Amino acid sequence: MMLQGKVALVTGARGGIGRAIVARFLKEGATVYAADLTPEGSLDTHDDDGSIFVQLDVTQEADAIAAMQTVRAEHGKLDILVNAAGIEIEKTIEETTLEEWNQSFAVNATGTFLTSKYALPLMREAAKTGASASLINFGSYDGFIADPGLAAYCATKGAVHALTRAVACDHGPEGIRVNAICPGYIDTPMLQSFFNGDGSGGGGGNIETLQKAVRDVHPMRTYGTPTDIANLVNWLASDEARYASGQLWVLDGGLSAQVQQMKL
Amino acid sequence: MRLQGKRAVVTGGRQGIGRGIVDAFLAEGAEVFTCGRGAEPNGLSTGCHWDSLDVSDAKAVERYAHALEGVDILVNNAGVQVEKTVADSTDADWDLVMGVNARGVFNCCRAFIPLMPKGASIINIGSISGNVADPSMALYNASKAFVHGLTRSIAVDHGPDIRCNAICPGWIETGMLDAGFDLAKDPAKAKQDALTRHAVKRFGKPADIAAMALWLASDDAAFATGQLFTIDGGMTAASPLNPGPF
Repeated sequence: MMLQGKVALVTGARGGIGRAIVARFLKEGATVYAADLTPEGSLDTHDDDGSIFVQLDVTQEADAIAAMQTVRAEHGKLDILVNAAGIEIEKTIEETTLEEWNQSFAVNATGTFLTSKYALPLMREAAKTGASASLINFGSYDGFIADPGLAAYCATKGAVHALTRAVACDHGPEGIRVNAICPGYIDTPMLQSFFNGDGSGGGGGNIETLQKAVRDVHPMRTYGTPTDIANLVNWLASDEARYASGQLWVLDGGLSAQVQQMKL
Repeated sequence: MRLQGKRAVVTGGRQGIGRGIVDAFLAEGAEVFTCGRGAEPNGLSTGCHWDSLDVSDAKAVERYAHALEGVDILVNNAGVQVEKTVADSTDADWDLVMGVNARGVFNCCRAFIPLMPKGASIINIGSISGNVADPSMALYNASKAFVHGLTRSIAVDHGPDIRCNAICPGWIETGMLDAGFDLAKDPAKAKQDALTRHAVKRFGKPADIAAMALWLASDDAAFATGQLFTIDGGMTAASPLNPGPF
């Protein structure tokens, strides 16, 4: 049990990756607040898993404040914050409306900012107990190199990467570690939406063929699962990672280690 | 004439990227020395000086540097590639690739640095392959990562007198690029596929790399040191999936 006695809050907790993180945290003995827009999040249903649901729209300052007040009243500290809430707009900048651009930044960048800002006092309290507190953001390999037709998403993830390093510098002296996970292709509702979406994978093509083609570009010949991401989030949240801070952790099956995969 | 009065060495200047750099430096008024294994080749750029030199031979490089009494600009361009995985690579492959690409750069830097004047510029030719892997190019990829690390070390240790930067070319139209396509089942198709993966929809030319080398050699780059400059037509800015299945 790597997280015994720790209190965690996960945003986007009822999405594909969020659910895997919550499940792993619970298994490792943490108390977990699962924050999302609805109890079902981006999936159709949700069965009780022992997590505490918190209604949270990460773009709303009042929601972030209220969520942290709940945690303060019940535990007085927060050891782990995972900013997993995110959206993607599958468009080039010409196709992207200002509203879509603002919404992308509101969720992916501003949401990370707001939740982190109001969690910090509680994370300082956690750090006073001896072990460091751990703040984990969701960047993306798209924050380093671009996928076509994902302009606003790529830009928000670049912002998250820079914010991660900045917060690590500012709050490291207070015992708060800050890292970002940069997933590649992970099998989630967001990825399936990308496969089916306008201007991307759907296009009337065969989705099985498309998925195989995507898998085959990876050196590991597969895309990842939410569990793969949760395994790294768990390690970064645990005391084993006590010297890990300010870093961007790419987890993509080797995808971005290669020069563009020429079809030779 | 941006290099008037400057003396430059460009290793491996008989062909490809090295030749492009030699020509650019000559055009901007520099006195240019180049070298390579073997006798002076036919068709060398007019006005440049040739010496027969194997950069992997430390003593020979030392003699060369002293004979020239140092230079203002050193371009470590000489390089070789062997298209193999680690499992297939022999000791002889290691000696060849690391000897020229890694030890050769080290030899030249060690020999020339003490003889270079204040304000001198070293330009190493790294590669995008030193940052991300080309398949079946294991020793080459690793040798270029060595060049990137050495570039930063020289910049840190020998500033402020000497600036040192690396250029990381992508796919440039040279004999080396064709050798890569020759490995493909269908070289013509592979070439077409590779082209679609470049934002600028063409491969690079030696002159594209020479243009950056010229800038780094010039006083315009007086504050540039310790950096890796990628010139690849946008290829490594895009995901390996681009355009791929989408």
